[in-house]
Amino acid sequence: MEFFRKTLDPVIALGAIAVLDIFLFLLVGAWTVGGGETMMTGLIAQFFIGDSINQIPFWQEVFKPDAGYWKIYISLGMLFGAIVGAVASKEFFWRFPKRLSEWVMITVGGLLMGIGIRLAFVCNVSTFFGLTPELNLGGYLSMSGIIAGAWFGSLIYKRVLEG
Amino acid sequence: MSPVAECLIAFVFGSVVGLLVQRSRFCNTAALRDAMLFKTFRNTKALLVAMMVLTIGFTGFISIGAGNPMRFDVGLNQILGLFLFGTGMVLAGACTVSTWVKAGEGNFGAVWALLFTFIGMFLFSLIWSFLYWPPAPSAMTGELSIERLQLGFSNAETLQEKTGIPAIVFGLIQAAVLFYIYQAIRRKEAKQQGSSGVESV
Repeated sequence: MEFFRKTLDPVIALGAIAVLDIFLFLLVGAWTVGGGETMMTGLIAQFFIGDSINQIPFWQEVFKPDAGYWKIYISLGMLFGAIVGAVASKEFFWRFPKRLSEWVMITVGGLLMGIGIRLAFVCNVSTFFGLTPELNLGGYLSMSGIIAGAWFGSLIYKRVLEG
Repeated sequence: MSPVAECLIAFVFGSVVGLLVQRSRFCNTAALRDAMLFKTFRNTKALLVAMMVLTIGFTGFISIGAGNPMRFDVGLNQILGLFLFGTGMVLAGACTVSTWVKAGEGNFGAVWALLFTFIGMFLFSLIWSFLYWPPAPSAMTGELSIERLQLGFSNAETLQEKTGIPAIVFGLIQAAVLFYIYQAIRRKEAKQQGSSGVESV
């Protein structure tokens, strides 16, 4: 099938995703990923520490662990869709970071992403595909933050690449 | 709508997104990083097109009272949080979407990034439990609060209510700005191609 042999133009892909996101906005709410990831974190923490999670106010007042939270299933769907795409196009294979610097950057980067999402209440997806198109003030604040952060991260990335 | 139906719709939507992102190699990180570091705009253009479509679609439906816009107070935490996030996504080489998509392609680095995103979220939940800032949704007032570093809540819906002008008008203005940026990028690309052509001659 041609679709799985050639790389799709990202403008077409994102245009199609935007149209679908409008339908999602009408039915449940705009596309977001950070909220679902937070709920997964709560559920995983609950699995490991049990009822002790009730002693952490965040998991009572902000995100009460609930497996029926719809945003979780967007992320799981993305994983599923990506596996289907990768397997059908014969692009699935295990890859591991080779250098120690890569492991360090991914670890620090992952931590910063997690802390940043929770501090802001939004992720990059909500910023670009939800809040800003809704003309939400938070979208413009988040965009200024993410652009400054990406610029700062690029300086570090460049230094590591050159080093 | 029942919670099961909501989860099902979310899963179907996510599956199509995962497939399209995997096939197109779109990455939000690359949309910002590549434009800044390498002056290439393949992903930036796609991001702008999606934002244009969404702005017109969302504000159009908000104008007629349809849709489910996000409602929560915003403030300094958005700037700080997304600054940390933006730095992190460039270091990790993936954003929230591409971590899931790359994980689905067998990229263990993306799985690792996802694991530490979860750990980062859990660590923040511990810090929040001492600070109680930013305010929990139940404690949000929707109003300006200097002591809590919160600007309140405002979006296309509130703009329409306060001004009496349909939200789509503001949406079209934003879409025009995004289109101007898109065209500026295309002109820059044409110029880059032109100068590389002269060099190769």
